[in-house]
Amino acid sequence: MTPGAGLDILLVEDNADDAELVVRALRRGRPTARIKVAADGVEALDYVFSEGEYRDRSPGEMPRLILLDLKLPRVDGLEVLKRIKSDAVAHTIPVVMLTSSREQRDIDETYRLGANSYVVKPVNYERFTAAVQEVGAYWLALNQGRRAGD
Amino acid sequence: MGAAQVPVALIDHGLGSTLKPSHSQPCASLVGDLMPTERQLKESLREVGDLKAALDEHAIVATTDPQGRITYVNDRFCAISRYAREELIGQDHRIINSGHHPSGFFKALWKTIAAGKVWRGEIRNRAKDGSFYWVDTTIVPFLDDEGRPRQYVAIRADITVRKRAEENLRTSLTEIGDLKRALDEHAIVAITDPQGRITDVNDKFCAISKFTREELIGQDHRIINSGHHPPEFFQTLWRTISRGKVWHGEIRNRAKDGSFYWVDTTIVPFLDETGRPRQYVAIRADTTERKRVEEEIRELNAQLEQRVARRTVDLEAANRELEAFSYSVSHDLRSPLRTLNGFSQAVLEDYGSLLPAEGQRYLQTIRTAAQRMGDLIDDLLALSRLSRQPIKRQVIDNGALVRAVVEELRALEPGRVIGVEISNLAEAVGDFGLIRQVWMNLISNAFKYTGRNPMARVEISSKFHQGECVYCIRDNGTGFDMRYVGKLFGVFQRLHRVEEFPGTGVGLAIVQRIVHRHGGRVWAEGAVGEGATFSFTLGAEEVP
Repeated sequence: MTPGAGLDILLVEDNADDAELVVRALRRGRPTARIKVAADGVEALDYVFSEGEYRDRSPGEMPRLILLDLKLPRVDGLEVLKRIKSDAVAHTIPVVMLTSSREQRDIDETYRLGANSYVVKPVNYERFTAAVQEVGAYWLALNQGRRAGD
Repeated sequence: MGAAQVPVALIDHGLGSTLKPSHSQPCASLVGDLMPTERQLKESLREVGDLKAALDEHAIVATTDPQGRITYVNDRFCAISRYAREELIGQDHRIINSGHHPSGFFKALWKTIAAGKVWRGEIRNRAKDGSFYWVDTTIVPFLDDEGRPRQYVAIRADITVRKRAEENLRTSLTEIGDLKRALDEHAIVAITDPQGRITDVNDKFCAISKFTREELIGQDHRIINSGHHPPEFFQTLWRTISRGKVWHGEIRNRAKDGSFYWVDTTIVPFLDETGRPRQYVAIRADTTERKRVEEEIRELNAQLEQRVARRTVDLEAANRELEAFSYSVSHDLRSPLRTLNGFSQAVLEDYGSLLPAEGQRYLQTIRTAAQRMGDLIDDLLALSRLSRQPIKRQVIDNGALVRAVVEELRALEPGRVIGVEISNLAEAVGDFGLIRQVWMNLISNAFKYTGRNPMARVEISSKFHQGECVYCIRDNGTGFDMRYVGKLFGVFQRLHRVEEFPGTGVGLAIVQRIVHRHGGRVWAEGAVGEGATFSFTLGAEEVP
């Protein structure tokens, strides 16, 4: 990460295979996107809040989009979501849940905590790729984002 | 009749005691002394006449000669026998014989009076019109100087009414005796005086209380008090019966040996003329056995409820486990599938050109299998969720629902031509989402299995049959062999190969489960190459 350059997408995903497939799909649509993968909730929060191993990160560089899985080791997706959405600055970042759970209670809970969108990872690879690309295109290009810190 | 003889007859009959003092001496002495004066005779005659008139008013009188022929009858005799005087005079008493008494009866009668003794008895006679009457009879013989009867005077009183009353009483007593015996056979009976002391008990009372009759008579019911009932119970009982009202209830008593028994009891007070009880009759039935059975049933019910409660808890636990399992499956199983799918596709996309066609086919096979596994998991989860889901019943417009489903299915195959006929479909009551699933599965099957038929046709209809509404989906597709109809609704059971027609074999299992949960039935008919008809009903009650 070159200093001064913002992060496009923070992908929070513990499954390395899934992470690789998502990144591959994202790059298909946006070859120059700057993508970071956090393997668990602690790493994700440390990054967003410039703490822990990322305490030297410039706080102004918020990701433009966070793709968040639900089931994460150490600190799980709901907790990450809650922390981000209750922060004065970070809450403006769009968080898209990208998870294999189709359970209604998960959907309800994440929206209650302020998620911007909920996408179920399709098993079918074509649809999975298409879905990820659509998400990227929508939130990075089509959607007008909020100014950080509003 | 001679004037001197009458007073003696009157004395013997017990009448005319006033005459006695002046006629205590036999008439013969009178003859031996001075002859009575004419005045004395006239007076005697008048008195006698008066007495006779009085007698005639009161009694039935007849005189007969020594041979028994009637020489005189008074009016009452004629009245009661309904014969005229002329018909009676000269007859003997056979004219009024009713045939009731044996001949020995009259033989004894004659023997008595012929010997000069008074005969007293009750005779049943027959009147002229054939009707019968009873008379209390006294026959007095009057003797001549040699001591032989010269005439008999019979004085009778009509006791027909009394006799009838006696007869009725006897009949009533017999009936009552019968009833009492029958009652004693059936029930436990006790009679108490107004103070509640036992005056009589029947054998069954002794048997159940294990006391002898002697031990019970004179006691009051405290002797069998079990202590089970509170004092208020007996107070109410006494208040009721001492007011003259019948009391009914169940009492637990204690027998002599300390054992307990229940009796269903009715106590009836019998009142005297002033309306106060003069005795109480208690009729009881032994309900100890019934009470025991009732207690057992209560026990069993309580146990059953406990068992049901436990089972419900177990069931709920099982459901929760299943839910956790499903959740885990839904998440954990899909992940490696996605990897399988994704990376095999990635190989094809990025390095496919380096692979020979066969290698590409292998990869494709892997992908197809992974996809199929995903479908299977989805279907299994759907199936398991079905059993746990509560049914929200509402009225469903099947016509609109089916049309929407057909639209959706058509949209999945835009180029396809398929004739769908939807008749008037009856409304149903059920869970909208689940019923929609049923239609979706059945109609998509119809679409699928007519895939090879260029003139594909699906007919959806409903009809009433034997009181229930039957929905039918008929297609002219590939059909199935009726020999395997039993497998049709099994989980993962298919009658066609996946290459011929795709599918996991869970669709119909889902349909069946939903229909069953609604209390309905589903069945199918078909023939190879001639299409199939699937029919289902929805019951009125939910089946868990």
